[in-house]
Amino acid sequence: MTERLSPPSLSRRHLLIATPAAATAALATTAGLRPARGAGSPNDGGDITFLIDSLGGTWIPNNSAISSFQGHIWGHVTDKLIYVDADGKISPWIAERWEQNDTATAFTLHLKQGVTFSDGTPLDAPAVVANLDIWYAGRRNEGINPIGLFPKTYDHAEAVDAATVKVFFKVPTLGFIPTLGYHGSILISPKTIARPAARQANLGKTSGSGPYLVDSWKEGDFVRLVRRKDYNWGPPAVGHTGPAFLDSITYKLVAEQSLRVSAVQSGQADIGYSPPPLELQSLKEAGFTVATPRYLGFVNGWAINTKLAPFDDVRVRQALQAAINRQEIIDTVYTPDWKLAESFIQSNVPGATDHRELLAYDPARAEKLLDAAGWTKGAGGIRWKDGKPLSLTLHANPYLATSKAVGELSAQQLGRIGWKVAIRAYDVVTFGEKVRFNSPTVPAYEVTRSFIDAGTVASILTDANNGEDWFGLGESDPKINELRDRIAGAGSARVRDPLLDELQKYVLEQGYFIPLTQIVQRIYVQNPKLKGEVYNGIAYASYYTATKSTA
Amino acid sequence: MRNAYRAYAAKRLVQAVVVILLAYVLTFVVVSILPGDPITSVLRDPQNGFTEAEIQEIVAAQGLDKPIPVQLWTSLCHFLTGDLGLSMRSSRPVATLIAEVLPSTLVLASAGLAVALLLAAALGYGSQFLPKRFGQGFLRGFPALFLSVPNFVIGLVLIHLFGFQFGFFRVLDPDSVRATFFAAIALGIPVSAQIAEVLIANLDHESRQEYAAVARGRGLGPTRLFVRHLLKPSSLPVVTVIALTIGELLGGSLITETVFGRTGIGSLVQRSATSHDLPVLQAVVSLAAVVFVLVNLIADLVYPLLDPRVKLIGDHRPRPAGADESAADTSGAVTP
Amino acid sequence: MTVALPSSAWRVTAASRLAVLRVPPAVALSFAVIALVIAWSIVPGLFTSFDPVNGVPADKLLGPSAAHWFGTDHLGRDLYTRVVYGTASSVESALIAVSIGVAAGGLIGLLAGFLGGWVDVVLARLVDVLLAIPSFLLAVIIVTALGFDTINVAIATGLSAVAVFARVMRAEVIKIRQATFVEASFLLGGSRWHILSRHVLPNASRSVLTLAVLRFGLSILVIASLAFLGYGDPPPASDWGLLISIGKNYLKWPWLVYAPAFVTIATVLSINRISRWLRQTA
Repeated sequence: MTERLSPPSLSRRHLLIATPAAATAALATTAGLRPARGAGSPNDGGDITFLIDSLGGTWIPNNSAISSFQGHIWGHVTDKLIYVDADGKISPWIAERWEQNDTATAFTLHLKQGVTFSDGTPLDAPAVVANLDIWYAGRRNEGINPIGLFPKTYDHAEAVDAATVKVFFKVPTLGFIPTLGYHGSILISPKTIARPAARQANLGKTSGSGPYLVDSWKEGDFVRLVRRKDYNWGPPAVGHTGPAFLDSITYKLVAEQSLRVSAVQSGQADIGYSPPPLELQSLKEAGFTVATPRYLGFVNGWAINTKLAPFDDVRVRQALQAAINRQEIIDTVYTPDWKLAESFIQSNVPGATDHRELLAYDPARAEKLLDAAGWTKGAGGIRWKDGKPLSLTLHANPYLATSKAVGELSAQQLGRIGWKVAIRAYDVVTFGEKVRFNSPTVPAYEVTRSFIDAGTVASILTDANNGEDWFGLGESDPKINELRDRIAGAGSARVRDPLLDELQKYVLEQGYFIPLTQIVQRIYVQNPKLKGEVYNGIAYASYYTATKSTA
Repeated sequence: MRNAYRAYAAKRLVQAVVVILLAYVLTFVVVSILPGDPITSVLRDPQNGFTEAEIQEIVAAQGLDKPIPVQLWTSLCHFLTGDLGLSMRSSRPVATLIAEVLPSTLVLASAGLAVALLLAAALGYGSQFLPKRFGQGFLRGFPALFLSVPNFVIGLVLIHLFGFQFGFFRVLDPDSVRATFFAAIALGIPVSAQIAEVLIANLDHESRQEYAAVARGRGLGPTRLFVRHLLKPSSLPVVTVIALTIGELLGGSLITETVFGRTGIGSLVQRSATSHDLPVLQAVVSLAAVVFVLVNLIADLVYPLLDPRVKLIGDHRPRPAGADESAADTSGAVTP
Repeated sequence: MTVALPSSAWRVTAASRLAVLRVPPAVALSFAVIALVIAWSIVPGLFTSFDPVNGVPADKLLGPSAAHWFGTDHLGRDLYTRVVYGTASSVESALIAVSIGVAAGGLIGLLAGFLGGWVDVVLARLVDVLLAIPSFLLAVIIVTALGFDTINVAIATGLSAVAVFARVMRAEVIKIRQATFVEASFLLGGSRWHILSRHVLPNASRSVLTLAVLRFGLSILVIASLAFLGYGDPPPASDWGLLISIGKNYLKWPWLVYAPAFVTIATVLSINRISRWLRQTA
């Protein structure tokens, strides 16, 4: 049963504004902010349907904001304090400007004035404080989680006046401002935040300040968003700040990959999410727009657990690095839209450097390394040492649809030099339970992870400061420890970038991380009539600026 | 006689309640073996960046670390008071979730049953009156064929032929009348096979009876003969089979809904199973058990009233002629 | 039959032999299909020279041709080869499922029917519970609990069929126990186990066996359905259901669905036909 929502406070005045004449008048007042299209042009208005493979689990904002699926809806229903574009560049949004003290322990945010949530509550300093508090702490006994990536060094925030917020940290926290542009940091009305978890889970009752609001929804089926006519505070970086152009966006769940594609091809829908990569070429030839934005983050690859034999031997890890034919993966499983990995972080991340020479396909070198390490070929072409076969168990990453196919292909490549590879697949829940970094049953963890700031990379590689210890090294590799500490202490990009370069080179040389390809986790196939969408730093499409031609 | 009937009814009722409660407990036990739950799974999403210590702390705060018997007792107490609890996946009330999707599944299941009955009746009629040279034998092979085709294959073929090639229905609007019709075909075909097998066996049995020959001798047309003299006596055992296919319809809807992209009980089960959402699974299993038990209870209670020959001991509903209990299953194992 | 043609003398004798055994041609064809399927599962290498796991990536998604009867898949592997090599696992898992159903269900039914009394009451309720949960729903929940793997899918399918076998076995045992020859044996002082093994089991097993053959075909379908929903083995396994499930992602290349679907349907249809023939001759 669909939950239909009446617009908040459906007063006579609101109804009047909805009439065409009044709407034109309302548009005229904001005309200065709009691009040349102007009111009444055929490009204003229109409805689009977005086909998605899942709509995730809960809609409690804190618990769902980072979801790959729900992020699409939150991106239209809510705003953020900071905007981060596809190149990782930070720009103002609800926070018009900000300052920090010399030690990076106190920040002052100056908010845009006149912004309101869709329930009428002003988005002012107290509202921002309420959001910061729940991002940091959640309400754990109620089932409202904190935002995992929000700085754990947060102390408190206070509203200086209606438009100024001061935020205090226990220790220097340079990453605070970029975090505000990350997908977890969505601004929600304090009225919604105050509700208990079970009521926050009802998406239809949640108010954000975004250019769209939820008109109706049904769990596991669809979410229909309609334009908010009084929206006037878009991020200046996208070149438009007034109300959105499209009247409505319907996110419809269609689990079958092939159905999503066929529906877009037959004109029944405007955007299909996650089509099979192999169909992209023919879709392009048929005139459809195909978008494969890369997010800022790690490339798709394996973090090797150095605690597990035989991966405690650097020669074995280096052999693995040389035995993967990355070009063949792109040619077979993907299309030329996918880029070769140049490092273990995506090449569009500020600070990423090109280390392709360390990732060249060289089976002869791999075989030599394995021979040297004492792994000799036995029956069936498998290599053995001390009565044990050279084996590797891969766990297909359930968050990446192509993971099984890539795993199968790399298993074939490794099989050619005598590696016995097994693949296991789990559902998302079991994967979360059984497959973790540095677990005794997981020699290679397949990474698919985004981040906003490359500075955070070094700190999660070891176990210091609650790091995730990706390679099972602990504190045992002094070189990594040294780089980690120097990167954390670097005051500017000029000092930090050479250190990041050194870290990338070292991690790849040691075979700690085996990159496969640069990751495109979000793929969009789009009707060519729809234009002007914008992709942010986490590769989400925003249709706030998009228009649909009727011709 | 009346008292005997009351005692019989009371006994059946108690049995029904016991069965439903046991189904609830069984689901709890099976799902509890699973590692993990939707709440921890969200926390473990690598994008979330929680450390193991933080995850343990949050899990403990929500009482998910309590021993399993304690959790079962709490959940059973809530169930007995009619409280189905909150979904662990979406944090919304389970009753709301089921209420949202139930109508869609009921529509699909009834349409599927209607398709199955019509098909079975058509096959039954053809099996008696289609001349041999027009392929009566061929027609009689249909139930076996229908039983051999996976219903997801039927669904895929229907979608691609009628949804995309011919554009008979909008694939994105699976709840529309047309789309429901095609989904009902995919769901109904395998079910029709079971009903048709039993029906044909019983029709064969009845048409060998003397009165059928007499009726034929009187010059009764095939349709009137079929409806008046053959279908009626054959329908009682068929009703038994229909009661037993209810579960089949539910199970089939799980796949049909996935293939056609419908949002119903089936898709709810699939989502809940993959995310190990215990409260929802328990509620759906209990619901299915309630439906199954009710349908069979009604049949059990009505039969003795209709047919005095049915003795009030045990479950002695009239079985399809010759068809043994395996008809309960999918097979329609008929030995005329 | 083409009796008039001298060249068909062998066929005539073959046909008349079949007639003596009273095997209808459709049943003979069914046996041939099953024989081929069994051969595929035992010696797949005899039927194809391609590798089921390692393909030629450059040859991906080719249409059916003389070289590739069923075309090639998304990694350039010969689909016919994948089907042939996937047979063993598909057949094996259905066998496991049926064995579990027969063993567990048969035992429950035997005990309930033969011992009667409170044992019967308790077991009957247990069977009622299993019957009340739609078997496919039960299978989905069990396989989620056991983990995604074809053997687990087989176990789940088998467990969900226990109730059916238990019911049939119980009904048969009760029927036979009341038969005159068994009662006579009781009167002659035969021990319980003697009666059970000499009279009840052999007579009851006939209808259980017929049901088992039928369930075997059905199990192939249920296992394929579970694989279709994504509960099967991880790659590079090529069970028929998995192949259909993978193929549905590439519907622009429809043979990826239709070829394995056709093989599945032909196999199940043959089994059903044989099962019906067994019932009729029994």
